[in-house]
Amino acid sequence: MLNDASHAGRARAAALVALLASACLVRGAVAAAPIFTVAEGPWTGPRLADGQPDIAGVWTNDIANHNNFTDPQGGIPGDPSKGLNVANGAGKGPKKPRSERAPSRVSDPADGEVPFQPWARARQQELLANFFNPTKPEYVEPGARCAPAGVPKSFYWHGYEIRQYPGIVLFLFNGGIRTIYLDGRPHLPANIKLWNADSRGHWEGNTLVVDVANNNAKARFARTGEFASENVHIVERYTFAADHYTYNAVFTDPTVFTRPFTVTIPAHRITEATPQDEWNNEQEWANRPGQPPLYENYERMCVENNHGHGNVVATASAAH
Amino acid sequence: MSAREACAPRVLALVLGALAGAPAFAAHPDLTGIWQAISTADYDLEPHSARKDAPPGAGVIDGDHIPYRPEALQKKAENFAARDKLDPRLSCFTLGVPRDNYYPEPFQILQRPRDLTLIYEFGNSVRTIHTNGTLHPVGDNPEFWLGDSRGHWEGKTLVVDVTDFTDKTWLDRAGDYHSDALHIVERWTPIDHDHLAYHAWIEDPKVYTRPWTIDVILYRLKDKNIQLIENYCYTLDFDQYYPLPAEDFPHAQ
Repeated sequence: MLNDASHAGRARAAALVALLASACLVRGAVAAAPIFTVAEGPWTGPRLADGQPDIAGVWTNDIANHNNFTDPQGGIPGDPSKGLNVANGAGKGPKKPRSERAPSRVSDPADGEVPFQPWARARQQELLANFFNPTKPEYVEPGARCAPAGVPKSFYWHGYEIRQYPGIVLFLFNGGIRTIYLDGRPHLPANIKLWNADSRGHWEGNTLVVDVANNNAKARFARTGEFASENVHIVERYTFAADHYTYNAVFTDPTVFTRPFTVTIPAHRITEATPQDEWNNEQEWANRPGQPPLYENYERMCVENNHGHGNVVATASAAH
Repeated sequence: MSAREACAPRVLALVLGALAGAPAFAAHPDLTGIWQAISTADYDLEPHSARKDAPPGAGVIDGDHIPYRPEALQKKAENFAARDKLDPRLSCFTLGVPRDNYYPEPFQILQRPRDLTLIYEFGNSVRTIHTNGTLHPVGDNPEFWLGDSRGHWEGKTLVVDVTDFTDKTWLDRAGDYHSDALHIVERWTPIDHDHLAYHAWIEDPKVYTRPWTIDVILYRLKDKNIQLIENYCYTLDFDQYYPLPAEDFPHAQ
């Protein structure tokens, strides 16, 4: 896993191409940037033997990265560095006026803000204010310690692979995995709390609907410090077309928020035509002489290699 | 691999296929499931009496002992003496191959025609065994904690060639080790629906005088609604700092 510095200048144009080529453009709640949206409906593509829509492959977020939750192309407020753009236009600082940047990942409420209770808003602001100079252990964004990115941050972190099996959809993220069982089994007992939570899903046409419980809520939503508590309940809807999908997730947590809110993340498929960029597309070329090019996924390690990922600050003393 | 290593399962497959009245095995076995070893292999691959930190075990090595080179035997002894500090397991590091397969925590096999995915609950390590005819990587000499795995089917046996290892993993809690020259050929053979025979042929000319083999039986976990439960063991060291100190949640007090 690589930190952002190594990605400087590697922002790729494919996501922008995807935006421009999209057939269905809607306006975001705050900004003018278009988003590719897949509408819920029947699935007309290939199916697996057990009837699931076949959506296996490598996917990635369309816009920016994990720097900023409600202003994805706004960089991290207070960033003292003068770096260039990183993945998908997630600059170290805003390069365009807010009205020309991508909308908030919060699509409801309409103002694009997380509906925090006042105490939680104050805490989020405190975490953000201390992001670049963490003087307490809890100020260190857990991703800097190789922790799994959790829900929803895993979806605007690096690219990721989906593998499918009878009754199972498996997500392989750069850090961590999610196994979504489709067989109707109950969630784990409520006192078991997990970084990537416990997922139960079913298909409705082109949409994978996933109930997410048992969340330890230790992963934050972004470097901007948004968080939930372990009481959070999430219902995700992944709506697929052939090469795009739209992620809509409703977060409910009366402990932290004044009302439920919806997170929307547009994503697209990585194919053998997608250049490697060490962020969205971390695939490697398979060795198979004389045959067409084929990507494959190498193992992902973080803690074993003795350095954090996405670690933009010196956190050694706080982290250990 | 010796001729015996290469041919025995194939012959066995043909014999079993003939006995079953089938033209060998038309379809590959399905190894899908959640598996776990019961043996004491993770405590010590070699035969050992009971210790304070290990139950006794008769060992899983053909010939009982690992054929260390003399200088390597010295390092093994040092590892053993400091095993309560040096075992990579204690740092929650990915255990590697073959150890992940007999560590006393379950792992899940998911199978497609192009690959098998092995998810080891300890650390949620993900290993892909490619069965699509691709070869080991060339060029940049990668070093993987789980090695690079390329497999094919010989009758009902999945044969996996594993190379490109890091030298940072151990083989067990007793300090048995290898170098980055480690090369493993695994044979995964169903015994019946709920038992898998795991055989590993292990060579490392930097550390061993000759190749050696281990045999471990894997058992299918059949508990109701069995599933792996995420175990990112290394996060426990900083678990207390997240999501936030409990006093920050006014409604949770």
